[in-house]
Amino acid sequence: MSTQDTSLPRRLLLGSTAAAAAGGLLTGFGAGSLRSAQATTQIPATELGYRSFYGQYQSGIIDAQQEHAVFIGWDMRWREGSKNQSKKQQVQALLQMISDDAARLMSGRGVLADTEPEMAQPPSELTLTVGLGQSLLDVIGQGTVGSMPAFANDELEEQYQQSDLLIQFCSQDPTVLHHAVRAVSKNLRQLTTRRFVQTGFMRTMPGADTFRNLFGQVDGVNNPADQAREQAVFGEGSWIPNGTTLALRRFEMDLDRWDEVDVTGRDFALGRRQSDGSPLSGTSVNDPVDLTAENELGLPRIAANAHVALAKPGHGGETIHRRGYNFDDGQHAGLLFASYQSDPRSSFIPVQHRLAAADALNTWLKPVGSALYAILPGVDEGGYVGQQLFS
Amino acid sequence: MTALVLGFGLLLTGCAQSAPATEQSSASATSTTAQQGTQAQALTTSDTWAKAAETGMSAAFGKLHNSADYPVELHQVTDAQGDEIQLHEMAGSGQDMSMKQLEGDLVIAPGAEVELAPGGNHLMFMDLKEPLVAAQSITLNLEFSDGSSTTVDFPIRNFDGAKENYDEHAGH
Repeated sequence: MSTQDTSLPRRLLLGSTAAAAAGGLLTGFGAGSLRSAQATTQIPATELGYRSFYGQYQSGIIDAQQEHAVFIGWDMRWREGSKNQSKKQQVQALLQMISDDAARLMSGRGVLADTEPEMAQPPSELTLTVGLGQSLLDVIGQGTVGSMPAFANDELEEQYQQSDLLIQFCSQDPTVLHHAVRAVSKNLRQLTTRRFVQTGFMRTMPGADTFRNLFGQVDGVNNPADQAREQAVFGEGSWIPNGTTLALRRFEMDLDRWDEVDVTGRDFALGRRQSDGSPLSGTSVNDPVDLTAENELGLPRIAANAHVALAKPGHGGETIHRRGYNFDDGQHAGLLFASYQSDPRSSFIPVQHRLAAADALNTWLKPVGSALYAILPGVDEGGYVGQQLFS
Repeated sequence: MTALVLGFGLLLTGCAQSAPATEQSSASATSTTAQQGTQAQALTTSDTWAKAAETGMSAAFGKLHNSADYPVELHQVTDAQGDEIQLHEMAGSGQDMSMKQLEGDLVIAPGAEVELAPGGNHLMFMDLKEPLVAAQSITLNLEFSDGSSTTVDFPIRNFDGAKENYDEHAGH
């Protein structure tokens, strides 16, 4: 974790204002290393937890993943009438307001008209990451990311499908997160209707980027790091410079039936061992997934329909950066799959088609939500998110 | 005089900013009528906002800072849609505080800051001619006792508080 983090803060620091924010940024990217003695001794506790709203990229994408997240999708409620703004102007005003809210909240301040500004402190790595559906790109008249195609095993529910607007809220503190969500939602009332609220949680494993999903599996192995991550997310094929896309899928897990599967069957379906995440073709978690490895009988160690066999990028261009969360909404539990990639048409979508057709894990997975968003570029100091689309 | 009685203690604490607010000097001192040494020149504003409303009354808030070594006296506030906008202040103390139209100007002492906040001093729209729509903003023209003036943008936000029941028929 710590090695890949060192390259990130310097660039994003350029856009930050206060010295406090700068100190916060450094700690922000060290979220995974906060547990290390080094980080805690060098940085005063009072400066912990700030990430900058301003920078080349939006925060909450390639920076260290926070433990709590809320993804909220809103649909526009257009205001009609001759005295009012055009649809494009309404989107612009909305993005300006969200930017003002996000900049304040991420720096630990309440929003305008905030009734509980005290709850914004300390921001605890709070990030707000803003995306638009193709519907709003069409209103603005710029940008193409398309929409999420149907996949073979989809059992989608209306409420978890594509919305016009999406904000990914993340923080280490669920109370701070709740305040941020509520503060922003209050301001969006009357301008929008809320389609979904998807809440997630995870905890990175010590010294790693991975976490346990609710199947018990080590999730996030083989996620790209450092420059490979930046390339996968913001590299060639992106719909706009310094912007990216978010694929958001909601997979319910049938945990009762998963209980019936012994560990050998579980490992076979995934292609990795539940115990430590190591591939069946190797012995440690970071060993490569070798689809040609055979056992003593000459049979493949990793089955052709094992999850890792189908998910493995066929080429570098298929690489995605996963930033997903576990969810349990009281009725269902599962994985809130979230991945960032420069061009989903050449990465996420073909990989998901392979998985939807044959993944051995599909037996216990039910995809109920699916959406694709254009994630806007980073924001210049004093600017607003999406500004590049209106100039 | 419009007046009402309110329990102000709670409202006031609710408006306090706990975090150090970064001073966002608005474009307030750049009006055409602002000149060196005028009251308009001395005013800086931050955290300005107005309460969204379709019709009727509403209010505007923010921090007004006097950066000069002479008093700033806010005399009148107008907007482009011709709303009647009054300066309101709190009066009295303890349980007997009331809100009323300011007698005379709102005076900001040299170097001082006046916070206009729900439950405190504020700018009052008496009867909106056009809706105040969240995410939009309204530009107010602030006129001072020395004849100088300046414009300040007030972003419009949803706010469920500030529901003070102004009695327009109360005696002055």
